[in-house]
Amino acid sequence: MAPSHLAFLVLAVPAASAGFIALFLRRRGGPASALSVLAAVAVAAGAGWLALHGPRFEASREWLRLAGLTVSFGFNFDDLAALMLAIVGLVGLCVHVFSLGYMRDDEARARYFGGLSIFMFSMIGVVLADNLFMMFIFWELVGFSSWLLINHWYERPAAAEAAKKAFIVNRVGDFGFLLGIILCYHLRGTVNLSDLAAQASSGTAPYSTAIPLLLFCGAIGKSAQLPLQVWLPDAMEGPSPVSALIHAATMVAAGIYMLCRIEVLMVNPALTVIMWVGTATALYAALCAIGQRDIKKVLAYSTLSQLGYMVAAFGMGTYFQPQADGSYHTASGVSAAMFHLTTHACFKALLFLGAGSVIYGCHHEQDIFRMGGLAGRMKLTFATFTIGVAAIIGFPFLAGFFSKDAILALAFASNRAVFAVLALTAILTAFYMVRLWKIVFFGATRSEAAARAHEGGGVLTGPLVVLAALSLVAGWRRLYPAAFAGILANVPEAEGRAHGIVLGVSLAVLLIGAGASWAFYAASGTDELERRAPGLFRGLAALQQCFDRFYAWYVAKVQQRAAMALNFLDVIGLSGLVVRGTAGLAGLAGLGLRALHVGRINAYVYWFLAGVAVLWLFAAGIL
Amino acid sequence: MGQFLFSFFACFAALCAAGVVVCKNVVNAAMCLLLCLLGVAALFIRLDAFLLAFLLLLVYAGAVVALFLFIIMLLDTRGEQAPQARRGLTIVPRVVAVALIGAGLASLALRGRLAAPAAADVPAVGASLKLYAYLLFTTYLLPVEIIGFLLLTAMLGVIVLSKREGEHSGYGN
Amino acid sequence: MLPETLNSYVILSAVLFGLGFLGVLLRRNTLVIYMCLELMLVASTLALVAFSRFNGTMEGNIFVFFILTVAAAEVAVGLAIVVALFRRTQTVRVDRLDALKH
Repeated sequence: MAPSHLAFLVLAVPAASAGFIALFLRRRGGPASALSVLAAVAVAAGAGWLALHGPRFEASREWLRLAGLTVSFGFNFDDLAALMLAIVGLVGLCVHVFSLGYMRDDEARARYFGGLSIFMFSMIGVVLADNLFMMFIFWELVGFSSWLLINHWYERPAAAEAAKKAFIVNRVGDFGFLLGIILCYHLRGTVNLSDLAAQASSGTAPYSTAIPLLLFCGAIGKSAQLPLQVWLPDAMEGPSPVSALIHAATMVAAGIYMLCRIEVLMVNPALTVIMWVGTATALYAALCAIGQRDIKKVLAYSTLSQLGYMVAAFGMGTYFQPQADGSYHTASGVSAAMFHLTTHACFKALLFLGAGSVIYGCHHEQDIFRMGGLAGRMKLTFATFTIGVAAIIGFPFLAGFFSKDAILALAFASNRAVFAVLALTAILTAFYMVRLWKIVFFGATRSEAAARAHEGGGVLTGPLVVLAALSLVAGWRRLYPAAFAGILANVPEAEGRAHGIVLGVSLAVLLIGAGASWAFYAASGTDELERRAPGLFRGLAALQQCFDRFYAWYVAKVQQRAAMALNFLDVIGLSGLVVRGTAGLAGLAGLGLRALHVGRINAYVYWFLAGVAVLWLFAAGIL
Repeated sequence: MGQFLFSFFACFAALCAAGVVVCKNVVNAAMCLLLCLLGVAALFIRLDAFLLAFLLLLVYAGAVVALFLFIIMLLDTRGEQAPQARRGLTIVPRVVAVALIGAGLASLALRGRLAAPAAADVPAVGASLKLYAYLLFTTYLLPVEIIGFLLLTAMLGVIVLSKREGEHSGYGN
Repeated sequence: MLPETLNSYVILSAVLFGLGFLGVLLRRNTLVIYMCLELMLVASTLALVAFSRFNGTMEGNIFVFFILTVAAAEVAVGLAIVVALFRRTQTVRVDRLDALKH
């Protein structure tokens, strides 16, 4: 089988699964979940084979041709796509298996698994797309499946609101994305990624700052950077496996992936903006995470923070500067971002699934101040979760250590201010993660539910073990298959003295953050920070809510008023004048003509005379 | 002499026709129609169509107008002669109608000039009775037969139409 | 004195026809309208005979035969209809006979 056909199968199998579930298995949760998991297995196998053994290829087929515009449907399977596809397939499989256990009591299982399949289809489409139009189409599909899955428990108004918010905020970003695509097509004549790369390398590309910035808007929306980060914490209303798959490992990483894809379009001013947006997001999210009570919200803000790291890494590393060997830029941005994306996918999925296991064990309790003492009751979850926490805070030799180190090294070499901010963020990361870990797992049990906590069974813990193993080894690049060497070849490493400084800083932030948190927080039922420094706590809460408040004000005062004005125009102008007016005119004409049918012979003869007169005028040559 | 006769009977016919249109009383209108037919019959005689003139008087004046008078007497329309609000056409359509017809006539008079020889130069073939019979029973036999069927159908139609509803048919009770 | 040419006969016929038409237009009594219809028919017979005379042919005269017959049949049937209508609606005024209006 040709690799392009296999790739198409990998794309189509989840779509077929979703379609079959939607048509036939709506009420049958068991068969639907089995089908979806089988599809995930097939996808993982296909993706694995393609990534590790398959050749890199490009295949394309013309799909639409309008006057002058051709939209094609094709695959661009290079190293970057291979790595991303492998991540999506593997994490997707783990989440599917976990969902078998987590959702086993849910009545709408079939809808859930159908949504998971649609999501896999859309995400693989984004990964494999070879031109920006196709990527945009699948981008929107990913947004749709995110809405579908956040909305799973739609009877809860909070979930419905969160899904709407996610979709709308994404839409705002996608508007910029679409403008960027149009501008790219207009200025460069093509949206095909290979063609764009060829243009860039041959030096014939026109200079444009707007294109990369507009395309970055899409990443701002999808990857929840400032100022569009407001949807991600609310998206935690969805089930935990959904949070793990979509809002930690894959969908939000799609923004990063897209940035890597359009690396060839980048220019320095845009890269500076990208770098600062990422840095600001990282710091902001870390500050917000400190005061959260909900276990999933802490992880959500932590995801935001790590995404900020990835975006900042991309911004810094891709910076065009003449190199010693005459080449013009290094690809270290892509490598650093993708490396951190890979490790982050592993440990963040692990953390979310672990949180899911905890929530399931405590019978859907999500407030960390009502958990506690779970270390003894849920041993396997505790062990894997600990590995995850250690990975994210950069414990030496675990996954996060290497990838974060790479980013810090890059920052140290590029921009010291960013380095300082990222180091501070690392301290905060360690701080809130250890806080979470301690309060959830240690101390006395603080609620009835926690007292009866238990493991969820092999289906829940199996994926945890797999992901924990990956988190342990994902940092060792030597262990990666040679197939991915291309992407990860340029992961930045500090040289000489800088190496020592960076290493020292990373170890220092780990110790400071973790130690401070361990000492400060007691595993009790109240938040220490809130108790001892209420002003600071309130300040952090205000920081977290300021974006939401501003958007609410904007929507209510500005946008709503504009919408009402347009509505008025529509009702009066369009519906009233144009639509009903023309209907009224037709009605009037009908009435007028009907008035002729008087039933009186006199009138009819009169009209007859008029007709004869007209004929006469014709015959006489006057008319 | 002939010209005088023509002028006289032409004006006579036209005036009587105007009378039909104008007379309020229905019986008067019928009388005016009768006189108009007389005038037209005289004109037929001027045109040497003697048979047709007599036929006109026999059939039209004798039968048709008589039938009209019978029906006028049968239908008691006196109750409706009381003046009522005019619900017919108002003054404007009337004026317009008169104007249109007048314009049509004027146009005919001015533009529809026909070139024809004088009556004396053309032999009056319509004067001989034999020619009528000959043509009717050879060239125009088919229309004559069809006319016969038409009259039969008309008779049957009149009989059916004039039945009273719900009436027993005659002799059986 | 009117000249006695084909033209004048045709014009006279047209005048009679026009008067008949006016009558149909302006009168409200069904019977009078009917009489004006007959007047129009007579006018057309006059034109036919005039043409036949001035062209020296017989066709016009023969056609008048048929017109006369048809007119007679038509009058019979038409008056029967008027009588039936009168029995049903007790009126012969045309402006009352507007049941087809709605």
